[in-house]
Amino acid sequence: MKKLIELTGITKDFDGQRVLDGVSLDIMENEFVTLLGPSGCGKTTLLRILGGFLEQDSGTVVFDGQEISKLPPNKREINTVFQRYALFPHLNVFDNIAFGLHLKKLPKAVIREKVTGVLKLVGLSGFEKRHVNQMSGGQQQRVAIARALVNEPKVLLLDEPLGALDLKLRKEMQRELKKIQQEVGITFVFVTHDQEEALTMSDKVVVMRDGVIQQLGTPVDIYNEPKNRYVAEFIGESNIVDGVMLRDYEVSFEGRTFECEDAGFAPNEEVEVVIRPEDLEITTPERACIMGTVRSVLFKGVHYETMVESDSGIVYNMATTDRTEVGDRIGLWFGPDELHIMKKG
Amino acid sequence: MKQKNKRITPGKIYMTLILAFFYLPIVYTVVFSFNSTKSLTHFKGFSLKWYEKMFASSSMMDSIITTFVIAILATVISTVLGTIAAIGMFRSGRRLRAYVTQVNDLPMMNPEIVTAIGLLMFFATLKIEKGFVTMLLAHIMFCTPYVMLSITPKLRSLDPNLMDAALDLGATPWQALLRVVVPQLTPGIVSGALVAFTMSFDDFIISYFVTGNGVSNISILVYTMSKRVNPSINAISSLVVLIITVVMIAINVIPIVRDKVIKRKEEVK
Repeated sequence: MKKLIELTGITKDFDGQRVLDGVSLDIMENEFVTLLGPSGCGKTTLLRILGGFLEQDSGTVVFDGQEISKLPPNKREINTVFQRYALFPHLNVFDNIAFGLHLKKLPKAVIREKVTGVLKLVGLSGFEKRHVNQMSGGQQQRVAIARALVNEPKVLLLDEPLGALDLKLRKEMQRELKKIQQEVGITFVFVTHDQEEALTMSDKVVVMRDGVIQQLGTPVDIYNEPKNRYVAEFIGESNIVDGVMLRDYEVSFEGRTFECEDAGFAPNEEVEVVIRPEDLEITTPERACIMGTVRSVLFKGVHYETMVESDSGIVYNMATTDRTEVGDRIGLWFGPDELHIMKKG
Repeated sequence: MKQKNKRITPGKIYMTLILAFFYLPIVYTVVFSFNSTKSLTHFKGFSLKWYEKMFASSSMMDSIITTFVIAILATVISTVLGTIAAIGMFRSGRRLRAYVTQVNDLPMMNPEIVTAIGLLMFFATLKIEKGFVTMLLAHIMFCTPYVMLSITPKLRSLDPNLMDAALDLGATPWQALLRVVVPQLTPGIVSGALVAFTMSFDDFIISYFVTGNGVSNISILVYTMSKRVNPSINAISSLVVLIITVVMIAINVIPIVRDKVIKRKEEVK
C-alpha cells in the first residue's frame, strides 16, 4: 500500500489552548482510518486541517508527495461529509450532488451520468428531483456522501456522519459506508466518538485524547492490546487490576502468580493487568484462578452482565451466558492469552 | 361561530377605534384629493383637477422623480453594503462582532434630528455642496443598518458548514458566497431591501437638512406646501399611499404565489 497522507508534528492552539499537540500520522491509499476520541480530543480539528478549513500552527501536511498546508479547500483532492450534512437547502438532490461538477463546467450529459451513477451507489436512484428538506436523516446522509463522492476525490473525510441517526439506522449505515468504501476504493478518514463504530468499520483506529494520539492500530490490536488504561477503558468494558510483573511471561495479582504472554518488562515492575469481561469464565472451585461472590446480575439480552467480588475485594465485570444468583460463590477462570499487561501510568 | 361574531366585546370596540384612528385620516386624504373645490372640509363634487395640477407642476413631478431615484439607488446600494457587512461581521471574531453590532444599532436609536444635524455639519465641514449626492449618501447611511439588522437573524440560523461545504466542492470563496450563502439569505435580504426602500421613500427630517440646490423629495415638498392650503397635497399624498399599498400587497402576495408555484411544481414531479 502506498502512503497517501503524511501528517508530521501537527500542533494547533485555539485562544492559547492546545487542541493538537504534535500529531503525526500516516494514512495509506484505500484505507479506512478512524479518528476516535471523546469530544474535545482534537479529532475534528485534525480533520478540518486535512480538509483545508483550518491551518495548523506548526507541522506539515503532505498529500501524495506534496506539501498542501497552504492549499485552500477548493484546490484539494479531498471532499468532506460534514456533521449534520450541510446540504444546500435551496437545491434539490440532483443539484446538490451536481454542485461540484457544475463548478468544473463539465458537459450536461456527463454530469447527468455521474449523478445517476453515484445515486445508484448510495441507493437513492429516482430521488433526483426531491427537495433535501423533505428527506429523512438517513437519506440526507446518503445525499451528502453522494455529493462528496461524485467529485472522485482521493480521500473522503467524514465528520461524525452518523451521529444524528438512530441506532438501527446507524448500524445499517455503518455496513453501507464500509461497502461503499470498498466499492469506490478510496481512502476514508472517519471521525467518531463511538468506539463500537470505530471497531466495526476501520482498517486502522487512531485513539486520541487531549490532542495527542494515544494508540494507533487495527481494531483487533486496539481492543486486545490497549497501550494504556485510557485506551483500555475507552474501547469497551474492561477489568483493570494492579499487578507485578515477576519476570517475562509471569505476572502476579490477587496474591497468585499467573502465566501470561507478555514480556519486555523490568523484573518486579508494577503493571496493570487488563481482562475483558467476555474472557472471564465461570468454573468449579478446583479449576478456578480466582474465587469470588456474585454481587449483581443484569440481563443484557445476549449475555448477563455479572459483577463478581473476589476474596481480596476486587470487583470484576464479566459477560457470561451462564445464569448465576446474587450471593453465589463461583470460580473464575481465564487463560494466559486473555491477560494483557500494560505499563503503569 | 356566527353567534359569537355578533357579540360586541370591548376588544372589538378597541380594535375598531384603532383601525378608524389609523385609516380614517388616510381615507379622508384620498377622498379630498378628488374634491372639486379648494375646501379641505366640504366635499363638493368629484374632480381630477388636483391630480392634473400635480402632474402639471414641475416641482411636484421633480420631487416624485427625486424620491424614486433616491429610494431605488439607496435601496440597492445599502442592500449590497449591508449584506456584505453582515456576512463579514458574522464570520469575524466575537469581539469585533459585538463592536460592529453596537456601532450599527446607534444610528437606528439616535433621534433622527440629531443624525440630520450631524450630517449637515459633516457635509458643511468637508465643504461638500449639498444636493442630490448628499441626500443619496445620507439615505444610504441610514438604510444600511436596517438591512444588516434584517439579515443577521437569518445568518445566525444558517448551518455554519454550508460555506465550507461549497468550498470543499471546489467553489472559490466568491462562488460559495453567491451560490450558497446569498440564496439562503434571500428572505432577509428582500425584507431588508423593502425596509430600506420605505425608510428612504418617506424620509423627511434627514433629507430636509442635507439637501440643497432646490433638490427635494415628496416629503420635503409636502412639508413646504402645508403652510399654504392646497389640495394638491392630498393628491400627492394619495399617490404615496397608493405606492406604499402596492408595495405592501406585493410583499404579502409574492411569497404566497411563490409557495403555490413551488407546490404545483412538486405535484407535477
